[in-house]
Amino acid sequence: MVRLDSFVIHTTKYNDYINITEKVKGLVEGSGIKDGVAFVITAHTTTAVTVNEDLECLQSDMKDMMWRLVPEDHPYAHARMLHSYGTTAGNPTGHLRSLLTGNHAVFPVRDGKLIRGGAQEIFFCEYDGAQSRTVYVETMGE
Amino acid sequence: MVIDVHYHPAFIKEVCPDEETAEVRRNDMAYYKTPRCALEQIEQRLSASGVDRCFLLPHDYSGCGGDAMKNEDIKKLVDLGKGRFYGFASIDPGAEDALEKLEYAFAELGLSGLKLHPCRQRFYPNEERMFPIYELCERYDKPIIFHSGFTWQPDSPAKYGHPLLFEEVAMKYPKLRMCLAHMGFPWVKDTAMLLLKYPNLYADTGVLFFDCAREFYEHIFTKEIGIGWLDRSIRHQVMFGSNMPRFEQMRMLTALKNLGLREETVELITERNALEFLGEEERSWLG
Repeated sequence: MVRLDSFVIHTTKYNDYINITEKVKGLVEGSGIKDGVAFVITAHTTTAVTVNEDLECLQSDMKDMMWRLVPEDHPYAHARMLHSYGTTAGNPTGHLRSLLTGNHAVFPVRDGKLIRGGAQEIFFCEYDGAQSRTVYVETMGE
Repeated sequence: MVIDVHYHPAFIKEVCPDEETAEVRRNDMAYYKTPRCALEQIEQRLSASGVDRCFLLPHDYSGCGGDAMKNEDIKKLVDLGKGRFYGFASIDPGAEDALEKLEYAFAELGLSGLKLHPCRQRFYPNEERMFPIYELCERYDKPIIFHSGFTWQPDSPAKYGHPLLFEEVAMKYPKLRMCLAHMGFPWVKDTAMLLLKYPNLYADTGVLFFDCAREFYEHIFTKEIGIGWLDRSIRHQVMFGSNMPRFEQMRMLTALKNLGLREETVELITERNALEFLGEEERSWLG
């Protein structure tokens, strides 16, 4: 059995880490699947999904690391008018931070519940906000 | 406070009710992948970008077979925005009822000014047939924002938007405040020359056709013209405008703040000049 759910997040900051664990848990527990695997996947190229501990200091370090690795001010090629959009390509940092973080997280599902380590929380990573974003949760199993 | 004087509301869901309308506007305005977005999310984006208020600039391309936003819809957004928005009117200059429609927008809807696009609407700003429109704006003490210079929009020759075409208008209507949007790019020096001579002329910074915001702003404001020109001579006449959703509001604002202008000048460009342009504050620098 395979079940695909989705939800929308209205982000409020340019870059942000948003804990979506409870939302994902609820969708997995409501999927009817007892044993299997759950994928949490972002629908966008300037966002990401990752797993880490929910501590304000860690989220601060995560942002600091991303801004060091992908600085705002750099001669990126993705900085020009795009004919297919009719707008400027002004968000290279969002694309590259997304690339480094990854588009999904995966968890086992047992007895109808999401299995996580004690410190593991699921974060939606916004790298070009504020925008409306879609997250998919695909639960597969029996 | 930061005021963005150049925001296109064409894709705000409250005034763009369905995908069919959005698709017409995308093709008319060359915003091919811009999604419709609810006002609440637009406001979140403005806040995240550090922008407090916006001029909403609609379009009326009905005279050239295109889409037209309703002035009533702009009034609706102004009301929903609760002080965040200044709504401008749009008219088709060639329409028989253009003056009537404009007067209604000013007198009844209370809109703050007029937006015109010479290149897309195919008129030369110094044509006599435009004079009654200018006279109505002058009578109501309402400013006009003109698209000027190059435009990305289809079917819109740049020749109609050359900054020099506005000189005779500035001379004929010295009390009419007019903004040459986009710094008249690529004729930025021509625009600066006009601002220097005519205190009723303004320009906005909605220009980002090459490079990233920091690089292009450096080019425009330190190479095309001297940074001192902006920081001394025309600092009361340039307003921060982003041309959203075409360009990158947040990065343009950052680029402006990092140009090396004196703090007082940045404050003029991001706030005070817009209020003076609207007629909400006295232009005391003219003394």
